Amino acid sequence: MSTILEDIETQIAGLKTSTSKSNVGVVRDTGDGVARIEGLSDVMLNEMIEFSSGVVGLALNLEETEVGAIILGDTTRVMEGDEARTTGKLLSVPVGKALLGRVVNTIGEPLDGKGPIKAEASYPLEKIAPGVIKRRSVNQPVQTGIMAIDAMVPIGRGQRELIIGDRATGKSTIAIDAIISQARLNKAGEEGRLKDFRPLYCIYVAIGQKNSNVARALAVLDANGAMPYTTIVSAPASDTAANQYLAPFAGAAMGEWFMDNGMDALIVYDDLSKHAVAYRQVSLVLKRPSGREAYPGDVFYLHSRLLERSARVTEEAGGGSVTALPIIETQAGDVSAYIPTNVISITDGQIYLETDLFYQGVRPAISVGLSVSRVGSAAQIKAIKQVAGKIKLDLAQFRELAAFAQFGSDLDAGTKARLDRGQRIVELFKQTQYNPIPVEEQAAVLWAMQNGYLDSVPVEKIKAFQVKLQDHLRTRKEGILNSIVTKKAIDKELETELAAALDEFKSTFQ
Amino acid sequence: MKVNKEVRQLSRQLLRASFTDGQLDGGRVTSLVKSLIEKKPRNYIGVLDAYKRLLRLEVEKRSATIESATELNAEASAKIVDNLKRKYGPDLATEFVVNPALLGGMRIRVGSDVWDSSVRNRLQRLQEQL
Repeated sequence: MSTILEDIETQIAGLKTSTSKSNVGVVRDTGDGVARIEGLSDVMLNEMIEFSSGVVGLALNLEETEVGAIILGDTTRVMEGDEARTTGKLLSVPVGKALLGRVVNTIGEPLDGKGPIKAEASYPLEKIAPGVIKRRSVNQPVQTGIMAIDAMVPIGRGQRELIIGDRATGKSTIAIDAIISQARLNKAGEEGRLKDFRPLYCIYVAIGQKNSNVARALAVLDANGAMPYTTIVSAPASDTAANQYLAPFAGAAMGEWFMDNGMDALIVYDDLSKHAVAYRQVSLVLKRPSGREAYPGDVFYLHSRLLERSARVTEEAGGGSVTALPIIETQAGDVSAYIPTNVISITDGQIYLETDLFYQGVRPAISVGLSVSRVGSAAQIKAIKQVAGKIKLDLAQFRELAAFAQFGSDLDAGTKARLDRGQRIVELFKQTQYNPIPVEEQAAVLWAMQNGYLDSVPVEKIKAFQVKLQDHLRTRKEGILNSIVTKKAIDKELETELAAALDEFKSTFQ
Repeated sequence: MKVNKEVRQLSRQLLRASFTDGQLDGGRVTSLVKSLIEKKPRNYIGVLDAYKRLLRLEVEKRSATIESATELNAEASAKIVDNLKRKYGPDLATEFVVNPALLGGMRIRVGSDVWDSSVRNRLQRLQEQL
C-alpha cells in the first residue's frame, strides 16, 4: 500500500512543476470515419492524435492547410469544432503470451469477456521488416497436417504461402486445420514427446468477416484444444473500415513479439481481399487519388510491407520466425484480377483451391498444377522428402492421362499403372476437415503407396485402408511411428519394419 | 467543400502576394480583393472563399490567446505579451480571455501550439496516469 502512495506522490510532484506543451488543431468536418483537422502543424505521419472526447485517431494525410485522420473508436463522439491534439506516439497494440487464448479487436482490447489482458509489452502496428543481415533461409517445416500440402507444397517457418480460391472452397478450413495441427504438436512438445521441438504460436486475423464465421472458427479451435496457443484478432464486417485496415498490422505486431523473443509464430490473414477493400474505402474518403479498380496507388505497398514482416531470423537475432498464411478470395477463379496478382507476386508460393475439385469430392480441393511453394523441399523433413519426391509429377501425369483415358478403353499396361497410381494418390489426399494427420503417419502411408502396397486395394476402399492402416500403426506399431519421429528419415532398418507391418496389416484387411 | 485546382492555385497566389517583408499587409489584401471583385474572373467567389480561409489560418498563426482562470493584472499581462513577442516576433496579436473552467493557472495558444499549465489540465493528466 505504501508503495502505491509513494508512486502517486511522485506523479503528483512531477505534475506540479510542469507546463505541458502540445500541438492542437480544430476538427473542420467529420464523416465516414474520417476527420479533417485544421492546425496540427507539428503532426507526423501515422501519429496518434487525441480528440477532446478521448477518442483517438490516426493522421494519414498531411496536407498544406489540413490533416486527414481516421477515427478509431466511436466516430459519433467526434464533432465539428472539437479540439484534437498530437500525442507523439504511434498506434500500438499489447503483445506477449498473455494474448494467447484470447479474442481481441484491432487495438488489442478483449472481446471475449475474459477480463483485461495483462500484456508485458506493446508494439507499434507499423514496423520496418527485418533486413537482409538479420534473415536466414527457411529450413524448418510448418506441419499443417494436411497431407497434400505437407507432401507437395510444403510450408516452412518464415515463409509466406498464399491460400487462394473462390468462395466456399475451404480456404479458411486449411488455415484452421494448420492451427489445430500446431496445437497438437505444441501439446506433444510440452509433454516432451518430441525432440528439439519449437512451439509454434498462432494468430488468426479475421478481416471483414461475419461475426458468425469468427464465432464458428473460435468454437472449432476451442473444441480441438487449439485456443491455448492461439490469438484471434477480429475486425468483423460491422467494424469500421479503419479498424479492418489496421487489423492485419496488429496481428503482425503480435507475431513479431514472438519472433523477437526467439519463438515461432504463424499468422493467418483471413482475408486480404476484404482488407484491400477496406483500405480502398479509407483512401477514397480521405480523397486520395484512385487507380485501377478504384484501389489507391499504394495498395501493393500495403500488402508487401505487411507480408515482408514475416521472416526467419538468424540465431544471433534470436532465431525466431513469423510465418504468414494470407488468404485471397477470387471471383469465378480469376487469379489475374488486381489484388490476387499483387499478392501472388509478393508471397513465396500459393495453394490454389478449385471449385470443380471441391464439388467432385476432392477435399481439400487443392489444384496440384497451380499450387507451388518456392521454398520447396527445404521445408520438409527427410522422411517426407523420401516418399513425396515424385508425387507431384505422378499426379501431373495422371491428370494429363485421365483426360485421354475417358475416350479409349484400350490402354497399355504402363498407362494403366500410372492411372491407377494417380487415382489412389487422389484418394489418399482426401481428408476430412479439422482432422490433421501427424507427419509420421503421413510418411508411413505415403511409403506404403510408393512401394505398391495400395495397388491391389480397390480405389473406393483406399480411404478405409488408409484410416485402418493409421489406426493399426498407432495402436500396434507405435515403435515404428516413434522412430520416424526421432530419426526424421526412413532408413533401411525402418523400411524392413514398415514392410513387415504392412504385410501383417494387409493380411487382415478386407 | 470541393475546391478545384484552379481556385486553389489562384487563392494561394493571392496569399503569396499579400505579404510585404514577410508580414501580412492589410492594404495589399484590400486592394487585391477589390481588384478581384472588379475583374470578376471565373469562379471568383470560390477564390475569395478559399483566400479568406487561407488568410484566417495565417492570422491564427500570428495571434495568441491567453486564457486564465481569473483576470490578470497589468504587470503580469505585459510580461506575458513581452515574452511571447520575443519568441514569435513583434507582429503577434494577443487576446486575453477569462475562463473560470481552467480552475487555476493559464493556457496560452499560439497558432497550433498550446502551453497549458492550468489546474484542469494537470488534473486530467493525473487522471490519465492513475
